[in-house]
Amino acid sequence: MEIIRTNNLIKDYLLGKVRVRALAGIDISIDKGEFVAIMGPSGSGKSTLMHIIGCLDSPSEGEYYLDGDLVSKLPKHALSGIRNRKIGFVFQSFNLLPHLNILKNVELPLMYSGLSASVRKEKARKILESVGLADRLKHKPNELSGGQRQRVAIARAIVNSPSILLADEPTGNLDSQAGGDILEIFSDLHKAGNTVIMVTHDSHVANRADRIIKIQDGMIADGNLT
Amino acid sequence: MAISLSESIQTGINDIMMRKVRSLVTILGIVLGVMCIMVVLAIISGMNASTMEWMEQRGGLSRIDVMRNWNYDFRQGGEASLSLSELNRLRAQIPEALAINPTVSLSSAVMQYRGFSYSGQVIGALPDMQIIEDWYPTRGRFFGELDLRENSNVIVLGSSVARDLFKGQDPMGRKVQVNGHILEVIGIMEPKYWENPGGGAWGGNYLEYMNRQAFIPLSTMMNKLNAGSEISSIQITAASPEEALKLQQKVNMLLLRLKNGRAVFRVSSAQEMMVQMKQNSKIFSMIFIMIGMISLTVGGIVIMNIMLASIKERTREIGVRLAVGAIRIDIFIQFLVQTMLITLLGGVFGIILGFSILDLVSGFLEIKLLAEPKMILVSLLISAGVGLIFGIAPAMKASKLDPVVALREE
Repeated sequence: MEIIRTNNLIKDYLLGKVRVRALAGIDISIDKGEFVAIMGPSGSGKSTLMHIIGCLDSPSEGEYYLDGDLVSKLPKHALSGIRNRKIGFVFQSFNLLPHLNILKNVELPLMYSGLSASVRKEKARKILESVGLADRLKHKPNELSGGQRQRVAIARAIVNSPSILLADEPTGNLDSQAGGDILEIFSDLHKAGNTVIMVTHDSHVANRADRIIKIQDGMIADGNLT
Repeated sequence: MAISLSESIQTGINDIMMRKVRSLVTILGIVLGVMCIMVVLAIISGMNASTMEWMEQRGGLSRIDVMRNWNYDFRQGGEASLSLSELNRLRAQIPEALAINPTVSLSSAVMQYRGFSYSGQVIGALPDMQIIEDWYPTRGRFFGELDLRENSNVIVLGSSVARDLFKGQDPMGRKVQVNGHILEVIGIMEPKYWENPGGGAWGGNYLEYMNRQAFIPLSTMMNKLNAGSEISSIQITAASPEEALKLQQKVNMLLLRLKNGRAVFRVSSAQEMMVQMKQNSKIFSMIFIMIGMISLTVGGIVIMNIMLASIKERTREIGVRLAVGAIRIDIFIQFLVQTMLITLLGGVFGIILGFSILDLVSGFLEIKLLAEPKMILVSLLISAGVGLIFGIAPAMKASKLDPVVALREE
């Protein structure tokens, strides 16, 4: 079953007065439960594609269906709700809020979905337990190692049971040991039935995925199903 | 769906606790502004309370005074005095008045007793004076209608006169000589005392001049001691403060008619003076409130700038919040609430500081200050209002951030 489908996605940016085409007609299709890596050199447009897939940005032209819904035409405030319910982000630099303890960090998406404090605390605690951080709930992010921080970020990404898990260079800031652990978690999540999309320029990382979509100059160079 | 307000407040409190020093520095302007407003409000209510108390001492708000009009040009003719028949005509036309006391005074009169003498004011009055001034003898009696009819040679002494003229002897029943007339002491008035609660430069007994007066029946004054004299002032008490203004106008009109349109008398009421004093204190308070407002505005601008800078610093946090599902209104409210919490905190400190320096200010300015609970409410509302006004711009800026751009921010 298809969870992501795009038709001729085009994204133009204005860089000063120059129009730059970051995406030049992307058609991709990703099935539910797939583990896909999106690869490409820097400037290839893979980040732009990830932003659109993650509903952080809208395409200039083309259509994007997420879970069967046409989301490319939705206004920005509606995209917030989609991000909250359907997408879990994991960033290269973790992006945890430094002044909140990790429990509060993980609670954040649940707060914006309107859950009561007690319910979200319980949920966040369970998820953190599942990534092996049960004894660190009250710690601030800067009291944790890089690998632990990324596990917190993963916990935050999956706490709301999103449709897709979107990771942008998730091992980029980690040593190979910690990076391997993180990739292991992604594999486990995939095995548990989650759809994982990982953006990377590292082929070792990409090789952990079932399928690699290669992007070059804003177009798909290789790896699409259709 | 926007998150709840209590959630935003919780977040705001966390943020403030996170940045304690910065938050404290941020609120300084508000603290000073609120403190200033607190003190001004206390000064104003203190002044109003003193004025009210003074008015009460002077016979309350029902009192009307008829006196010589110093603004009238007496070269145009007319005298600021009434004969007994004129007075009686006036009296007949204002039956609604509770009490009327016309007086003829003999200032710088010398009272003598066995070689001792005391210079003070001897006043010819009616028994109504007791009602008007709410002032009664502590010993003996005041003169009555009979004394008036018979031009009795009696005198009632103010407490200071009784003390100083008789040097410790009992004045009751003794004979006092005034301008060659022998008068028997039949009563001693209760001592009058009122001190401005502010004390200091305005301290002392404001009413001592009354204790230095002595009273004789009006008829005795006009027929014997000061034969041929006329009534120069009248005190009237209206049935109520509301009636006083009406009665004041009526008396004024009657006197004008009596004096052929010449404004030789000035008719004033305590009500009118009260209104005038309130007016004056309003101007005074407006000036000080404006000073407070200016310092609050400056404080508000400072807070706005610090918030704008802190949003720049927290761009990435905003990006993360947007990425995990915050909508624009969530971000807007988060920062607006935080600004308001900061200004409210400033308000609380300002109130505490304001209260704690009230005594200092009171001592320094030598005036009475009165702190009222409603001042706390006013101060809190003002400080929240400052937060609301100056929090909008930073909150707008934060809520307009694009999530992609915000997440890229280092």
